[in-house]
Amino acid sequence: MKLEAVVYILMMLFLAFMLEHLPMPELISWFQPAWVMLIVTVMVLFAPSAFGLWLAIPLGLMLDAEHGTPLGLHIILVALHIYLLQLLYRRIYLFNVAQQSAVLFLMIMAEQIIHYWAVAVLYEEATPVMLFAPAITTAILWPWLYVVGYRSLKRLEM
Amino acid sequence: MPSFQGQRVAVIAVFSLVLMWLDDEYSWLDPVRYSVGYLVAPAQKTAAVPLAIAEWMGESATLRRELLKENKILSARNLILERKAQRMASLEAENMSLRELLSASDQVDDRVLVTSVTAVDPDPYTQQIIIDKGGSEGVFVGQAVLDAHGLLGQVIDVLPFSARVLMIADSNHALPVQVNRNGVRAIATGTGALNELELIYVPNTADIKVGDILVSSGLGGRYPKGYPVATVTVVENEPGKSFANVKAEPTAKLDRSRHLLLVYTDKAERVSPNELWRGGQ
Repeated sequence: MKLEAVVYILMMLFLAFMLEHLPMPELISWFQPAWVMLIVTVMVLFAPSAFGLWLAIPLGLMLDAEHGTPLGLHIILVALHIYLLQLLYRRIYLFNVAQQSAVLFLMIMAEQIIHYWAVAVLYEEATPVMLFAPAITTAILWPWLYVVGYRSLKRLEM
Repeated sequence: MPSFQGQRVAVIAVFSLVLMWLDDEYSWLDPVRYSVGYLVAPAQKTAAVPLAIAEWMGESATLRRELLKENKILSARNLILERKAQRMASLEAENMSLRELLSASDQVDDRVLVTSVTAVDPDPYTQQIIIDKGGSEGVFVGQAVLDAHGLLGQVIDVLPFSARVLMIADSNHALPVQVNRNGVRAIATGTGALNELELIYVPNTADIKVGDILVSSGLGGRYPKGYPVATVTVVENEPGKSFANVKAEPTAKLDRSRHLLLVYTDKAERVSPNELWRGGQ
């Protein structure tokens, strides 16, 4: 892999974790997109030979530290995300951007539900509120990330 | 897709389930979380930069006139507080000697560390905030957190440069309190709403009135004794039920305070029954 691509990826991940931590007003905070998942999607779609399932462990641990969830919860979520991307890789790759957004919406939604289940099992008390909100914003953001990913990774012929 | 990818995902899933269970039940994984915190810290620090800039701009753009006015108010307050502090010294000495007479243990003033809130957890299931002091400043899990008005919560998760605080209003939180007026003990649990606590298992005959101030009783061994927690707002005795319905409003400004205090108390040592018995002789 070219050094330039590594720099791009590290920068994108840094930005994603920064945005993930950004304090937000309560009303908007429901709609906080899954930034790291977006970057993971870009990495797996545009540099499939370099990025695979192994990403799940470091990124999952970092997300768990960031969100204060039990260690391991986000490892499952990221692993599932990567697995689904690899499973549907050929289709997603040929889809147009709107269809890709729709797939991403469904995937984030599924992960939100799993996250909610885990919270419900661990804390024995939870009300499902607006689980779809992050999925919507993530799907809306996808076209921009697609362009960024295409420009930064695909063009470098990795 | 590489071969056996499904099996690999299954292995990772089992691995993380074990990890989650270990993390939930035991504290072996705390060092892992702590060191991962170093990786996340730079991004978290950067995320706080716009906030710091805004705060700095707000401070430097304040009018001179307003600053002078604020200064005047603060010095007036300071005078009042100093007068109180003067009396405090003699009262403390008197209290100490009285306690000596009663051969009770000394109450030492607690050490505190000032910290500020960097983020509020957007997770709707919990009432948690993130503060800008962490393990490198000696913050520990279970440490009590106060604001200027009363008890706010406790530290539940420590990273190198930040920590997570569970507020007393969280529905998973409970703390032992007592009524300041007469010492009646109770347990205050959070309801999930920031402005309401609930006192559970209060008998119908208990002497608790609307307006009573609840202070921490220190019985749980986690919170220091004597800090204000809440003011009773509702007392309802329902005939036919064994417990009264008591609601209270936290005195700490859970949704507004920006600057908080972390309290270091010298842990009260557990007295073994044996010693207690010998002490009684």
